[in-house]
Amino acid sequence: MITGIGITKTFRQRGGVLGAREVPALRGVDFAIDKGGAVSFIGESGSGKTTLGRIIAGLETHDGGEIVIDGVPMSSLRHRRRQPYFRRIQLIHQDPYSALNPTRTIHQTLEAPLRLRARQTGRSRSWADARAGELLSMVGLDPGYVLPRYPHQLSGGMRQRVVIARALTMDPEVLVADEAVSMIDVSLRLGILALLKDLRERLGVGVLFITHDIATARYIGDDGELYVLYRGQVVERGPTEKIIADPVHPYTQSLLSAIPVLHGLERPGAERVVPLETQREATPGPGCLFAPRCPFATERCERETPALSRDGQTEHACFHPQRRSVIPVGVGE
Amino acid sequence: MTVHTAAPEVRIRDLTVVYKTPAGELPAVRGVDLTLAPGTITGVVGESGSGKSTLALSLLNAVQPPGRIAAGSVEIDGLGDVLTLWGEDLRRARGRQVGYVFQAAQNSLNPLKTIGKQLLDLGRSHDVADLRALVRDAKDLLARMGMDGARVLDSYQHELSGGMRQRVGIMLALVLNAKVVVLDEPTTALDMITQATILRIIREVHEERALTTLVITHDVGAVAEVADSLAVMYGGRVVEHGPVTEVLGNARHPYTQGLIRAIPRLSGDLSLARALPGRPPTLGTLPGQGCVFRERCERRMEVCETDDPLPVNRDGRMVACHAADRHLTLVERKEFV
Amino acid sequence: MTVIVNPEGAISPEAAPAGTTRATLRRNFWRGVWRVLRRKPSRMAGVVIVALFALMGVVGPLLYPAQLPRDDNALYAPPSLAHPFGTDFEGTDVLALVVTGARYVLLTGLATAVITVALGTLIGLVAGFHRGRWDTLLMRLTDMNLAIPGLPLLLVLSTVWKFESPLEMGLVLGVLGWGGVARAVRSQTLSLRERGFIEAARGLGLSTTHIIGRELLPSMAPYIAMNMLIAVTGAVYAQVGLFFLGVLPFESNNWGVMLNLAVFNGGALTTPAALPYLLAPLIAILLLTLGIVLIVDAMDEIFNPRLREE
Repeated sequence: MITGIGITKTFRQRGGVLGAREVPALRGVDFAIDKGGAVSFIGESGSGKTTLGRIIAGLETHDGGEIVIDGVPMSSLRHRRRQPYFRRIQLIHQDPYSALNPTRTIHQTLEAPLRLRARQTGRSRSWADARAGELLSMVGLDPGYVLPRYPHQLSGGMRQRVVIARALTMDPEVLVADEAVSMIDVSLRLGILALLKDLRERLGVGVLFITHDIATARYIGDDGELYVLYRGQVVERGPTEKIIADPVHPYTQSLLSAIPVLHGLERPGAERVVPLETQREATPGPGCLFAPRCPFATERCERETPALSRDGQTEHACFHPQRRSVIPVGVGE
Repeated sequence: MTVHTAAPEVRIRDLTVVYKTPAGELPAVRGVDLTLAPGTITGVVGESGSGKSTLALSLLNAVQPPGRIAAGSVEIDGLGDVLTLWGEDLRRARGRQVGYVFQAAQNSLNPLKTIGKQLLDLGRSHDVADLRALVRDAKDLLARMGMDGARVLDSYQHELSGGMRQRVGIMLALVLNAKVVVLDEPTTALDMITQATILRIIREVHEERALTTLVITHDVGAVAEVADSLAVMYGGRVVEHGPVTEVLGNARHPYTQGLIRAIPRLSGDLSLARALPGRPPTLGTLPGQGCVFRERCERRMEVCETDDPLPVNRDGRMVACHAADRHLTLVERKEFV
Repeated sequence: MTVIVNPEGAISPEAAPAGTTRATLRRNFWRGVWRVLRRKPSRMAGVVIVALFALMGVVGPLLYPAQLPRDDNALYAPPSLAHPFGTDFEGTDVLALVVTGARYVLLTGLATAVITVALGTLIGLVAGFHRGRWDTLLMRLTDMNLAIPGLPLLLVLSTVWKFESPLEMGLVLGVLGWGGVARAVRSQTLSLRERGFIEAARGLGLSTTHIIGRELLPSMAPYIAMNMLIAVTGAVYAQVGLFFLGVLPFESNNWGVMLNLAVFNGGALTTPAALPYLLAPLIAILLLTLGIVLIVDAMDEIFNPRLREE
């Protein structure tokens, strides 16, 4: 079980003459990932979703807030003592082409972490060797074919499966999948998503799924929880199916409206929301961050900051929540 | 210079493009017939290795070595067969008659020059007499796409967001009044909302300027949103082509059917969705004879092993599949990695 | 659906290309190298040339007596069958001088290259991988190294040090020359460490030694190998130049000394008699450089599995 409380992160960009410019990436995010659960972070670039994933995987530090893994607050531990905790959370990279070392065979790629794992758990080297084959079978690959090959000899989908197998070498509790299918051929994407779902069910591995495509979040499990992030804040969260079917935050509605309609199979939703295009930055200080782009913003949205508040099964941060039918409807329905 | 002349028709006939590899010359595009009706948007959908980008380059006669256009013709109204042009004529046709928006326009802009400078370079290389008018046209186009033209022209590419660069790419392709526009993966690497905006812009500009547009993409959704007709490519062949609503609503080729089933969707039964078995072919793994898709096909028959299915045209649609209309004995499908 | 595999693949020979053992990998590597070299005739030519020079360096001095015979009747003799490149000022065969002189030149080159690349790679890797304070410190050191004026320093050094052994010479040239490699390796490391596979290795908790030695280094191998080869040519030029300038002790069978004598004593620039004496070492240097340059061209393909296997 991993929880985060009020995580904040600010990047300092080297600016012009006046020195550093501060860019807030996360503005106080709470989250909880249960054992074997499926959590999705949805948002555009700049929403902070990737940064949050990297912080959770221990690859990035955060400025404020606390991450608690299995009841242990990470701030109470020294850097070295944190490593075993973060090792239980493995990141799956977006790009399966750069995530594997082109100069090493798949066998070599899996061997190194497995030997390390064998030492940690007091197992033998032969266990490590056998385990490599086992893991590849588990992700749906033929070990005899894949093990002796170099990454360039495998397709994108196969590579991504190898990356997942490598993450499994550490017996992780949570896999952080950052846009894990965006670079995979369309016909194979569902295969990777089904694999993640399958690993949840068979191994009890939790999946943190990070994506800009809200539709893919459904496929790692319908029991999942969805967080919609906008510029470093959670604006809506709740059960995945519920949020997709019944979003109330205008930003979530914009995201859902933007998903292309398969004309011929679907009809567009009746109330698709198109956010305003504006170059105007949200004013620093109070006010809803989405207000400059929100078609429904009122004066209050500019003045006050909405807090995340519960509304039935879901939570949202909006002064004017309203249900709108934005997602496409099947032609036959 | 009149802007609103009639849109030209583009006829691709029997186009074959081969790539030189250690294993000999292999076809990336083979025997493709495709007609882009004047004033329509045609979407070409395909996975990696389908030959869709090579097809797009052929429209400009811009296939680079080790590739070579081995056969066929690309006739554009008012221009003739592009494949017979060369040298100055070809260079002038690119940009003037055929505008090209490169894959991820973000990388095709010069990082060291402002957009305005690049616009002027383009004008000069095409001997535009009135550069002032060119800049004015560019500003109009940018404004049409919801941007502050003057500001954009003064910017370097790193000062623009992904969506803005894509719009600059579209502007550069259209500013010389090209009537045929090719967009290669126009929405890849863009956020959902930006993608929706770009698709809307493509549609609107297409209609206002009476263009004939070709959109190349791996994303069926993006094409569904914008195109009038849809061509599906696989292994260098066009396997299905027809009006977009019909191809999506009633796909006939097993690959199209599988592809549609494999799209993550917001509604509908999760258990019906699944990935296609196997993996897309590469140049090296394309079968030498028979149907290019048979390895992954669930309706494979014996004839598919030996005979390449011929394109069959019926009710304004084209399908190249032995099993599309017949229900013969099915060969049992193998399981694949 | 768990499949039990024999990862060594040794028991069942038909079990696909299960060549995953170190030995198989090594064999495949060398097979690949051979394939890459055969791809272009120029590469084979380069290999032949370099192999010839290596042979010359190893066995050359054994072919001739320690004191090369002189022939007082044939000073600056023109090329003939007995003396293909003529003779020098004391009637010694020029070809013999070139052959016996190869060892010193090549050993210096090799020693310089090894030291340059070892120091440069180590410093570049550590600086690039650890960044922060280490980086600052090591890069200032590198700056200093790059700022050392090599030639004047060598001139000064040669007044107190006679460089009798080629290894001493190589050591000095190497210690003076690693700065460029360090800078280049550092920038490569900086870009590689952002790559997914390095981050994945860190996320898996693999040791720094493993990451640097097994993940980073092989990715930079073509680059390092190229630098090494080019360092050899650099060192050859540097020391031949020093001897040519005459700042180092006289020893007749040294390419640089030969050049010096041909120009300043034999008047090779004005009289044709000493011309073969001048040309012989020059041709040797040219050929050696050419051989190395021809091989450098293959490095990218040798160390990149994709290019190697194609």
